[in-house]
Amino acid sequence: MDERDPKVATIMVPSEDPEKKEDDKPKHDKGKLAEKDADLPDISEEDLALQSELEMLVERLKEPDTALYLPALESLRTLIRTSTSSMTSVPKPLKFLRPHYEEMGKIRDSWSADLKEQRALLASILSVLAMTYSDTGKRDTLYYRLISGSDESPGTWGHEYVRHLAAELGEEYVGLVEGAEDDEEPAAANGAVVAASGDKADVKTEEQPSRNYTVEQLRSLGLELVDFFLKHNAEVDAVDLLLELECIEVLTDKVDDKTYPRVCQYMVSCVPLLVPPDDDVFLRTAAAIYAKHDRLPEALALAIRLHDRKLVRKYFEAPANPVMKKQLAFLIARANIPVHWVHTPDTMEPENDEGDEWGAPPPELSTELAECLGNHNLSTHFKNFGKAVGVEDARTPEDIYKTHLESRSTAVHYNSARDNLASTFVNAFVNAGFGNEKMIVQAEEGQSFIYKNKDRGMMSATASVGMSLLWDHEGGIDHIDKYTYSPEEHIKAGAFLAIGVLYSSIRTQPDMAWALLEEHVDNPSTEIKIAVINAIGMAYAGSERPYIVERLAPYVADESSSIDVAANAALALAFVFVGSGNGEVASIILQTLMERENSQLDSEWGMFFGLALGLIFLGRQDAADATIETLKAIEHPVARSAEILVEVCSYAATGNVLKIQSMLHLCAEHAKTDSDKPKDEATPEVDGAADEAAAAATTAAGDVDMDAATSGETTASTDAPAEPEAPKSMRHQAMAVIGIALVAMGEDVGAEMALRQFQHLMTYGDPIIRKAVPLALALISASNPQLTILDTLSKYSHDSDLDVAVNAIFAMGIVGAGTNNARLAQMLRGLAVYYAKEPDCLFMVRIAQGFVHMGKGTIGINPFFHDRQILSGNAVAGLLSLLVSFGTDSHEFVLGKHHWQLYWIALAMFPQFLITLNEDGEEQPVTMRVGQAVNTVGLAGTRSTISGFQTLTSPVRVGTTERAEMATNEYFPFSQTLEGFVFVKRNENFDKDE
Amino acid sequence: MGQAPSSGMPPGGHKDDKDKDKKKPKWEPPVPTRVGKKKRRGPDAASRLPPVFPTTRCKLKMLKMERIKDYLLMEEEFVANQAAYSGEDRTAADRSRVDELRGSPMGVGTLEEIIDDDHAIVSSGNGPEFYVGIMSFVDKDLLEPGCSVLLHHKTHAVVGVLADDTDPMVSVMKLDKAPTESYADIGGLETQIQEIKESVELPLTHPELYEEMGIRPPKGVILYGVPGTGKTLLAKAVANQTSATFLRIVGSELIQKYLGDGPKLVRELFRVAEENAPSIVFIDEIDAVGTKRYDSTSGGEREIQRTMLELLNQLDGFDERGDVKVIMATNRIQSLDPALIRPGRIDRKIEFPLPDTKTKRHIFKLHTSRMSLAEDVDLEELVMTKDDLSGADIKAVCTEAGLLALRERRMRVTKADFTTAREKVLYRKDENTPAGLYL
Repeated sequence: MDERDPKVATIMVPSEDPEKKEDDKPKHDKGKLAEKDADLPDISEEDLALQSELEMLVERLKEPDTALYLPALESLRTLIRTSTSSMTSVPKPLKFLRPHYEEMGKIRDSWSADLKEQRALLASILSVLAMTYSDTGKRDTLYYRLISGSDESPGTWGHEYVRHLAAELGEEYVGLVEGAEDDEEPAAANGAVVAASGDKADVKTEEQPSRNYTVEQLRSLGLELVDFFLKHNAEVDAVDLLLELECIEVLTDKVDDKTYPRVCQYMVSCVPLLVPPDDDVFLRTAAAIYAKHDRLPEALALAIRLHDRKLVRKYFEAPANPVMKKQLAFLIARANIPVHWVHTPDTMEPENDEGDEWGAPPPELSTELAECLGNHNLSTHFKNFGKAVGVEDARTPEDIYKTHLESRSTAVHYNSARDNLASTFVNAFVNAGFGNEKMIVQAEEGQSFIYKNKDRGMMSATASVGMSLLWDHEGGIDHIDKYTYSPEEHIKAGAFLAIGVLYSSIRTQPDMAWALLEEHVDNPSTEIKIAVINAIGMAYAGSERPYIVERLAPYVADESSSIDVAANAALALAFVFVGSGNGEVASIILQTLMERENSQLDSEWGMFFGLALGLIFLGRQDAADATIETLKAIEHPVARSAEILVEVCSYAATGNVLKIQSMLHLCAEHAKTDSDKPKDEATPEVDGAADEAAAAATTAAGDVDMDAATSGETTASTDAPAEPEAPKSMRHQAMAVIGIALVAMGEDVGAEMALRQFQHLMTYGDPIIRKAVPLALALISASNPQLTILDTLSKYSHDSDLDVAVNAIFAMGIVGAGTNNARLAQMLRGLAVYYAKEPDCLFMVRIAQGFVHMGKGTIGINPFFHDRQILSGNAVAGLLSLLVSFGTDSHEFVLGKHHWQLYWIALAMFPQFLITLNEDGEEQPVTMRVGQAVNTVGLAGTRSTISGFQTLTSPVRVGTTERAEMATNEYFPFSQTLEGFVFVKRNENFDKDE
Repeated sequence: MGQAPSSGMPPGGHKDDKDKDKKKPKWEPPVPTRVGKKKRRGPDAASRLPPVFPTTRCKLKMLKMERIKDYLLMEEEFVANQAAYSGEDRTAADRSRVDELRGSPMGVGTLEEIIDDDHAIVSSGNGPEFYVGIMSFVDKDLLEPGCSVLLHHKTHAVVGVLADDTDPMVSVMKLDKAPTESYADIGGLETQIQEIKESVELPLTHPELYEEMGIRPPKGVILYGVPGTGKTLLAKAVANQTSATFLRIVGSELIQKYLGDGPKLVRELFRVAEENAPSIVFIDEIDAVGTKRYDSTSGGEREIQRTMLELLNQLDGFDERGDVKVIMATNRIQSLDPALIRPGRIDRKIEFPLPDTKTKRHIFKLHTSRMSLAEDVDLEELVMTKDDLSGADIKAVCTEAGLLALRERRMRVTKADFTTAREKVLYRKDENTPAGLYL
């Protein structure tokens, strides 16, 4: 204490006696004056008074009279608490007490333990003062707070103090956990802390041996702070703190009905950025909070995101209100959750009766609910929606092409097989779901466009009936039925495929599609077989029906079945079990991959085995590890692609940076090193390619030429010697590129950053990578035509490598699908002229045009729904299959004879509507506002969630980045996320004039 | 982005007749050309980083920032790998090839008109105009009619673009050397300092505080008060303190000889401010251009009014100004156009009153701290007088007193000096007002 006195004196003198100095001034030279100015800051009189008062109080604490301690401390506390601070400066009392901080610590230590109250109070004050000492990294605020044992709320010291405390708490906890992880560490860490805090800590050892807090200590303080945060509009801080303390679960009981929406919103938007165990916990907690506050649609949505069967069932069965139940049923239907998770149809197989690991089988639901679950009325509602927005009239391909706007100077030859095929597709996509187009469905007898196509074209043309009558399971089958008896094999195959397309995302009882298709699986014709298998896959995508495995598995496993049938069967199974992580199906496919001969796996179809495996594990993260390990054992190069596909699929839409990094590493490799190996494999490939080429003769004769030309050119453009062979062994790179998009999508920041990666890939990549980049762009921004992406794709569509151009044009179609985007339409018209002489490119341009006007602008293919939160497994399956097909070899598949693969997109197609239904399930017009969605997470106040809105009457179209909200409070929606089908309830107290 | 050139013919080896066919018809460029549409705002869309929401300080923001960082690291790694693979000298080789194509010496010309993607009309010096090609490696986005271009010495082809500099007038306004006055040199004015800090400095350094509160930070402040109360001094202190770009201009500088020059200067000023954002624009003596509008027949008057209208637009017009804060100073706020100082343009009006006793004492101390005063000088007496002394007046009194002492070659300033000086200053100050007319 002695050493302190002179220090005080130096401070006291100038403050008490400033006038004297002025008098002295003339005697000093300038240098000294300046010095004096420095140690005598300009202090006003009030400040001086305050300073001396504070010093007096501190002085008093040093005196032996213990009776004076308490009043002194009390007045110190009042001074600190009542000081109003500006945000530009430190509160004055804190500033003046700062020099005494260490001293006060010592005073406290010198007090005997009897002065409990005094010690506690001083500790609290010290805790506040420590804020000004925060730069030392000792976390004194927390230390003093904890040893003070004070039970008064930290909030009384002000917000800044609470924040500070929360920050130190978080740091301390992290340190604690890290210390606990390895056993040697804590002691050392302790030592370090003691050393850092110096002699002061030594004194303290008597009462608190070290600053080793228990987790409980920290958590209980944390919870106190969380309560404070939640009371004061700082939900964000509350969540952050609990995240650091690893006990987010407690939030369920802490939030009230005022704070929970903001808390949940914030938590959900944190999820894609958190590391694994946390994200799961966050989702579960948010779901529990929503459920607690009767926001079941949101809770269910999160359960679906978790893909947790028990949780889905729990939330689905929670509501007593039948209307709410229907609302949930619609959500489940949209997500294509297997119906048997929540409902036991009367035809259910008996073996499930006893109940399995998922508990007793769910009860049978009412017909009405089952209809909602099966999307039965989708077609009716969609057609009504079409009428309401004025697009029910059929459009011809010519309406879409708008050739009169193209400035063609050369005569164009229509009616070539390619053009007709393109028109067939465009007709199907544009009029999808309306079933009133004049070319095929409503065509007069014998005038059907089907007969203007040849061979495989007929198959696609017939299948287009299914697209045109999409979801119309009542009237549609009659149209298709007649084709199934056609003697023409192609038409028959097309008709079966049409059934599959038609039933995508529809679940009926009894299983019409199964009944119609099942018997034809064994059809001797490969073409029909593939069509039927695909149809089953599409009709039952996501349904996880076990009997489909029994039927299709033999085709996958049987080595005698040809590779294309096996691949399609595997893919169909993957569609059915998409995202299920079903080990049985996966092992069947793995088995095939291991047993098939290399020459067979060399086929382009080999890629689809990998895709099938990937889709099964879609979003299952770690569950796919075993499969990946098994794939590593397979030597054939196709296994490498499979490995990548499984890896990226299992982490789809997680934004996992590590996966993206490993994919980038793969892309960084170059084909140069293994130029010898592919040469050996080249021979069988050529054999295989030969008969394929013969089969492809139906397509334009220029194709083969062009293939040669392209490969010739790629040789010229890169320095790798054996270029034509290289792409096949390096094909996994294409998958890696698509994989980057798959992992990055669903999280805005990551998706945007991924775009930058694609630019680099385009700059440095080999041709195989460059080809895949447009596809990746398509995946990351499906049905969401952002200008930057359009510009980039437009540039790629003029690339010197025609494969890149074809893929870019296709990507433009996907990116603009169902948006009627005028700019995109104009670009495509330009491309139609530019590529007038390139049959492949022109075909692709037409398809892209059809995509852009999909459902006349009413159907989108973005895999995310429910406010862009839930990833639809089916949609990913459809999109990804198509993209993988393009990434593998577009000449073999879509540009070759398997153009029917374009119908895979049906899995991703869903109307972009918002239909409001009254409680009886009838459509109810409601005034809505629709505008661009605005991210309001973590922002203060109640902001509008949309910007630039238009006021419309439902049903309305809600685009990918758009959001709707109720314009008036005349009706209450049952789901807060206004998308798809929403039930509304009339507000009895609504007053129009208000 | 470095991939193969995208314009031109669809490639691939074709039969000859095909190629011939293709060349004959009038060929329409497939992509809308973007020549001349200068992207002014921020860096290129391709290299821009995604915006991060929410802007409040929270874990989510941190996680997003970290995500961006992760991606950037991967990008760096990938690009470094690829650059190493394709050889260090790839860019160097490209560069030297471009240099070769450019040739030397190069001429400088003006771009008169852009014909299509690859051709333009240029004029060199005062000579004739040429129809020339544009080399493929020229950044088309930078080309706009009227800009300076580099021309090949023989063919006159456009081989480069010269960045047009900002108006030299504006670059003069940029403050390179911070003034020496700091907040410590200001006597009193504590509330004013706090207000200006809150509305000018803090929004630039801690925007998240405002976001958390859910308000937009003020766009600008106006400092007003009788002459000599420290408006300019405070602005200097702000300039001294801040790390933001500080642009200063006097209202009268905005009045130019030629029609349209004034508004143009205002535009330029704000453009520079935005390019160098965050920045602070200080317009002194705003009443030079900002007086109330009235019907005027004088062309000069109207031009001044147009200048002000441009200023109005720049302050709160259609375009969103980013981190640009405006400080204005005037001593005649009542004569300013109400549109200029409405909330939204100028959100805070900070009055500078005459100093009160306390402040006066402080100012006296500040000014006399470097003078040698005689024993008998009692500043308190001077401070306590009831004269309406402004800060500048006080300074004048001190200076005058010093001068008087100097006249008599004394080493110290005496009380008598101060008294005389004070009378002199007051006399001069009240010179033009008929004092005591009604008394």
